[in-house]
Amino acid sequence: MSLLEIKKLTKSFTVGDTSTTAVDNISLIVEKGDFLSIVGHSGSGKTTFVSIIGGILKPTSGEVLIDNTDICSLNDDLLSEYRNIKIGFMFQFASLLPMLTAKENILLPGIFGSNSHRNGEDKAIEYLNIVGLHDKVNSYPSQLSGGQQRRVAIARALINNPDILLADEPTGDLDEETEKDIMDIFTKINTEKKVSIILITHNTDLAKMSKKMLRMSHGKLEEV
Amino acid sequence: MNKFNILTVALKNLKRKTFRTGVLVFAIGLLVTLLIFATSFTISVSSSLKKASNRLGADLIIVPEGARGFAEEFLLESKNTSFYMPQEVIERVKRIEGIVTTTHQTYLSSISGLCCDIVPTRIVAFNQDTDFIISPWLEKSFGRKLEKGEAIAGFGTSENLGLGLLDIEATLFNNRFSIVGVLEKTGTGLDNALFMTEENLKSIIDSGNSPIKKGEISIIFAKVNPGSDPDYVGRVLEGNIVEVDVVARSNMGGKFLSILADINKIFLITILLSSVLTVFLVWAIFSAIANERSKEIGIMRALGAKETHIVKLFFLEVLVLGLLGSLVGVFSGTYLSALLAGSFTLVKNISASLGVAEQIAIAIMGLVVGCGICVAGAMLPINRIKKMEPLLAIKEE
Ligand SMILES: Nc1ncnc2c1ncn2[C@@H]1O[C@H](COP(=O)(O)OP(=O)(O)O)[C@@H](O)[C@H]1O
Ligand SMILES: [Mg+2]
Repeated sequence: MSLLEIKKLTKSFTVGDTSTTAVDNISLIVEKGDFLSIVGHSGSGKTTFVSIIGGILKPTSGEVLIDNTDICSLNDDLLSEYRNIKIGFMFQFASLLPMLTAKENILLPGIFGSNSHRNGEDKAIEYLNIVGLHDKVNSYPSQLSGGQQRRVAIARALINNPDILLADEPTGDLDEETEKDIMDIFTKINTEKKVSIILITHNTDLAKMSKKMLRMSHGKLEEV
Repeated sequence: MNKFNILTVALKNLKRKTFRTGVLVFAIGLLVTLLIFATSFTISVSSSLKKASNRLGADLIIVPEGARGFAEEFLLESKNTSFYMPQEVIERVKRIEGIVTTTHQTYLSSISGLCCDIVPTRIVAFNQDTDFIISPWLEKSFGRKLEKGEAIAGFGTSENLGLGLLDIEATLFNNRFSIVGVLEKTGTGLDNALFMTEENLKSIIDSGNSPIKKGEISIIFAKVNPGSDPDYVGRVLEGNIVEVDVVARSNMGGKFLSILADINKIFLITILLSSVLTVFLVWAIFSAIANERSKEIGIMRALGAKETHIVKLFFLEVLVLGLLGSLVGVFSGTYLSALLAGSFTLVKNISASLGVAEQIAIAIMGLVVGCGICVAGAMLPINRIKKMEPLLAIKEE
């Protein structure tokens, strides 16, 4: 059985009289251990697509099946649990909470889960080690560089052992070298922890480091 | 143990904007101060009145027609009023159905200055055989009955007279009295009188210098049958004996109770307006907070926070704020009440004070109201923020 099955997914936005179809009838199967990258022009619907997969946006039609359940049919609490347990998110922008330290940011998803899912401090530190930031445990986001912040965000996305990591242009505003470091982390967790990754990027060189590259244009997804 | 939880996040949020947090705590503190002060004032005055009237032990106070005002304020004031009625009224009062016992007193005013060598004081002559008003105090403070030629000072009088030294001699209406003791504080008008037994009246009248005639009394205290309604008995009494006014226990301190009712209204209006203002302030600040943090809320939702987690986070912030503000208010309100008590005639007159249990109850009420106001103000913004779709919340800036 596939990890994730996307069937005829469509999302249209209506603003005033004009309607935009940001995601246009996309079907896709993601297997455990996949590392997909999606490239495409700005405005082609990439963020909209992963947001629906991640359960933070409702599609207009279509299904996102995980464990044979359509996440679009879940109520808010179950959908939150889905995001908490199955999905790891990395956003296009710095997304650490400024009042929390690196360690606390990483512990954050744990406090939203059921008690058995709560993560201990040592696990937070273990993940900070994985992303190479063991010396920044108690640093606040404002005391970290952009690249370091992204690495904390990776650790945060991974701490609940998600099935899928959704990364929406996670390296967009970083220099090439840092971009490369982060890609290395992705590759490492993909091979070592078998976490499936969907990476959105406008950098085709980075995309080539994934196992499969897809291109999005005008809401359609095609293989390249 | 994992110490990091939603409360940690809430506290860290509050610390981000200490000034704003401070303003809210201050505002709630002010409101609760006002509330505590007003309630303490009202409760101490009204409960002290009640206690004083209970302690008095009389269900009805019967005075000559026209002296009703004196009887109403009997518990509070010490006007040097002289009013008299014939002694035979006592018998007529006793005949009214429902009356069980009576005792009477005769008041002499020492205003004249000629009569006495002490400062103006109300002098009370009471009937030691029937008395149930003074005797309990006499028993407690003095331990024996008064003899002829002896007088005992009320608590307040003793201060006036500069008594500390007992066994002083005083001349009252040409008669020498030895002042043999000081009564304990009663918290009533009795505190400002000098007491002697009725036997002394004869020699005062005989001395020819007195304001009263033989066989005159000032006031009758009556107890009614426990099964009877004092108000009803009082009305019957007034209907049957035209030359008296009757005040029932429930109306004692009537003037003050009505002033108190007015004060209460003013307090109530002030508190209501301040509450509305505070709710509005909390609402405005939390609306701003909700807007500022919509991106953060969206991120938390994306990380798996349920609506209830978001609500809990905000409620914890609100409760901590409310609790801090209320605590500030409880302390400053209690302090203010104690500080200002002496400057209110109403409070001083009846030596109003609160018991520990009452103070605790008022403090708890202050905490509940303070937190409640906070929650009420933050409710709408919290409700709005929890309903936002995560992605839209993230995109909002
Ligand atoms: N909330 C929204 N309301 C209206 N239109 C939207 C909204 N979000 C995205 N869109 C539109 O959907 C299209 C795809 O956007 P997006 O998924 O963000 O593209 P990408 O991430 O590939 O740059 C764009 O044309 C954008 O204007
Ligand atoms: Mg995008």
